[in-house]
Amino acid sequence: MRRFLGLVAVLLVPHALWAQKGESKPITPTAIVVKGPDAGQRAPDFALQWATRDTIGPVDAPFRLADNLGKVVVLAFYPRDFTRGCTAQFQAFTAQRDSLFGPDVVVVGISADSLSTHQRFARSLDMPFLLLSDPDQKVSDRYGSAASGGLNRRTVYVIRPDGKVAYRNMDFVPVDPKAYQLLKRAVAEAAR
Amino acid sequence: MRRIIALVLLLALPVAARAQDEGIPVGTPAPVVSINDLDGKPVDLGTWIGKKPVLMEFWATWCTVCEELLPKVRAAHAAYGSKVEFLGINVTVNQTPERVRRWVAANKPPYRTLYDDAGASARAYMVPVTSYIVMIDAAGKVVYTGTGADQDLEGALKRLVAQ
Repeated sequence: MRRFLGLVAVLLVPHALWAQKGESKPITPTAIVVKGPDAGQRAPDFALQWATRDTIGPVDAPFRLADNLGKVVVLAFYPRDFTRGCTAQFQAFTAQRDSLFGPDVVVVGISADSLSTHQRFARSLDMPFLLLSDPDQKVSDRYGSAASGGLNRRTVYVIRPDGKVAYRNMDFVPVDPKAYQLLKRAVAEAAR
Repeated sequence: MRRIIALVLLLALPVAARAQDEGIPVGTPAPVVSINDLDGKPVDLGTWIGKKPVLMEFWATWCTVCEELLPKVRAAHAAYGSKVEFLGINVTVNQTPERVRRWVAANKPPYRTLYDDAGASARAYMVPVTSYIVMIDAAGKVVYTGTGADQDLEGALKRLVAQ
């Protein structure tokens, strides 16, 4: 109980400072609650409808994580289609697909956007990845990646062929080259 | 107990999401980090931070918003370039130095071009997207941040140099 009260206090400090100073921007939090499976834990299975630049997947054939056992899977949760950060991230993923992932890695993006919006977004960047629609953010929430207002946090999970999490980045910064370097290394290690 | 857990999650997640998207808070000391120039030579941002006002733009050659913003950066430099150091920090994601050199040669941006291949400044300034502008006063404090092509750079610089 004491630990929880301590955690509540840590989390409330940024809110209190923000309110006290009357600033338009919040003070950066010093701690956040991170949910979702950690490295070494089994990745929760899920099924979501999908779209690509070319097509919208049939309702009776969703993307199911369990169907991809035996492959390295990258789950990229992101706030919303067509935002600048998401555009930068998927531009980089697309341009560096071979060096970051290689041909055998399954890469999927996940946000609350509709399938038709996903298809337009995928077309706009000519991206070769599946985009999954998680309109009620239930899957995003299980992976600690749901935020308020229908937006996701920007997070990346690398799932090993045995279905366990190899790596996660719960604050993927799309303009930080180191974030891509760490992802590349994690994908390579997961594939061994 | 469940109520406490729910309260924790309710309070924490929006803060986390905002922090991801908003960049470094105005009013905080500007981080002094070392990055590189296009030749790979280290450049200490402390050369300017804390010594004179600084405008930094975090940009990339593929950033169309940065291109839209460029005329405003040029106008701001024409008006305030003698008093303010203009730094263009390439975020290096999906960018080679050669590609950046070609872009700089073709477009001749008014800023000193730097190349942050380790991402040190992107992390220190919590850069949310390209086209992110940070202005720092002569005392080394962040006084402005913004993104997008519609930023009032000259207005912000006018306030900055009037301090």
